[in-house]
Amino acid sequence: MTAMITVTLKEAVRKKTFIVMSILSGLYLVLWTVLLYYSKREMNFQNSEFSAIADLMLSQMGLQFSSMLISLLTIMLAAGSISGEMETGMVHAVISRPIRRVSYVLGRFLGLMILSAVYATVLFSALLLIGRVFSLQTVLSLGIGQIIVSWLLYTLVPVCLLCVTIYGSTLMKTVPNGLLMIFLYILGNIGGMVEMIGGYMNNNAVVSSGIFISLISPFHTLYTEAGRILFPGSGIVSDLMGGMGGLSGSGRAASTLMFAYIGVYAVGFLLLAARRFHKRDI
Amino acid sequence: MVIETIGLCKRYGDKTAVKDMSIAVKEGEIYGFLGPNGAGKSTTIKMLTGLVYPTSGEGQVLGLPLGDVRARIRLGYLPELFRFQDWMTGSDLLDFHSRLFRLKKDPERNRQVLQRVGLLGQETYKVGTYSKGMQQRIGLAAALLPDPQLLLLDEPTSALDPIGRKEVREIILSLKAEGRTVLLNSHLLSEVEAVSDSITIVNKGAVVKSGRMEDMLTEGLTLTVVAEEISDLILSALQTQFGSTAQRQPDGLRIRMKTRSDIPKITALLVNSGVQIYEIKVKTNTLESIFLKTVGEEAGA
Repeated sequence: MTAMITVTLKEAVRKKTFIVMSILSGLYLVLWTVLLYYSKREMNFQNSEFSAIADLMLSQMGLQFSSMLISLLTIMLAAGSISGEMETGMVHAVISRPIRRVSYVLGRFLGLMILSAVYATVLFSALLLIGRVFSLQTVLSLGIGQIIVSWLLYTLVPVCLLCVTIYGSTLMKTVPNGLLMIFLYILGNIGGMVEMIGGYMNNNAVVSSGIFISLISPFHTLYTEAGRILFPGSGIVSDLMGGMGGLSGSGRAASTLMFAYIGVYAVGFLLLAARRFHKRDI
Repeated sequence: MVIETIGLCKRYGDKTAVKDMSIAVKEGEIYGFLGPNGAGKSTTIKMLTGLVYPTSGEGQVLGLPLGDVRARIRLGYLPELFRFQDWMTGSDLLDFHSRLFRLKKDPERNRQVLQRVGLLGQETYKVGTYSKGMQQRIGLAAALLPDPQLLLLDEPTSALDPIGRKEVREIILSLKAEGRTVLLNSHLLSEVEAVSDSITIVNKGAVVKSGRMEDMLTEGLTLTVVAEEISDLILSALQTQFGSTAQRQPDGLRIRMKTRSDIPKITALLVNSGVQIYEIKVKTNTLESIFLKTVGEEAGA
């Protein structure tokens, strides 16, 4: 399996998708830095409460778009990780060697998981570092526990998405799988927004609809929880933002049951991928 | 037997790719596996390598049931549609396949297989820059890595020029000399004829003819003798001594023989019996004629 992990990693970092997304991520960090620079310059003349709100919004924006970048990268790399090799016939020379099919699937998964996790860690660290340079109140007030838990949740978003995309790759061709996974990811974001709107309206039915969508696509729940832990807000900021954990979501902490569900969801899809690939003719 | 299958069948929905494939490959032989396009050859080979699961039937490879991963430790396979990681160098590819074969990194072994397939010195280039023929050679090199007891070659020379084909033929013969078993699927009948000990012709997913290559080629061995002074006594002597069927022709005889080694003996008998011989022609079967006849009969049936 280590051979598959290594080859998957090496293959992924050589892909144009990865190179382009890395450049885009770099550009995004530059843009965010420029935005922080001008915002901070302007905010020096504003009152501290407005400054606190602006810091929170800028921090959440930085986190949300970086999470989107990682998620898209993960989908693009994983969508063809198995189906692509099936389409080209490259898999024939691999599976005919003494390697179990489950090891092939897990090797693919672990290789991409390591890459996504490292990528997410780099982006997460860069965001915090830049935020610290610009003395964002949200970043300066962070405790180590907050950072670790939110980093873990932030990293779990692409990992969870990867499990489903790998399963899709054993079922469908690369392009349909990629499109479906992007749709599923966006659906999760919509679920978060629906939940947020329901929260504002104080309408349980709308909140429940958002939660139902989150059950289908729970990635956004992980992200919102990461944002909620990292930037909880305080005082007037918290009141003004309605206790939101991000730019979407109800702001309430996800239940333990929800986390258990997400765990079963991710592992379940990975097991389904292994099962599906084990049973299929190549 | 190195390979033995009994009634292997593979169906994809309503379509039957292989309906009753029973083959037996002995240790140390080169086994030609022939058939027209869509006959089920590649599907059968994929079932032997564990890529495709049979719908029914059973079989064993290297003493283990079909699909058993352990059998693949000593099994080299070159797929028909070979495609390798084009971003790797030839050397990287061999290292990767060595790891898949659970072998330790060994530059000397890589050097040996590269030399065997004629790619030594090219291993530092990326596979993506290789010609199709070179990619086929590196695929063969990867298949040779585990010092395989059994080699399954699915169209191993399809991308090679005549010199490359000759080299692969020599590799196959050298593998046989080392006691390895090779199952060779190729559309190039002359190539199969030149190296195979046994052949099996398949059509419409089942075996239609199988046997020793030598027996098949001598099946239609005919001696045409342009001669005079042929008595009935000679015809009966040919029958009793050689088991050959002789037919009178306007200008001589046509004798169907069982083995090629009878030719000098029959000639001696005719000469010693006072037959005036003007010309002798030997006609043997070719694999192509056997193949066309077998598949043609099947198509007509």
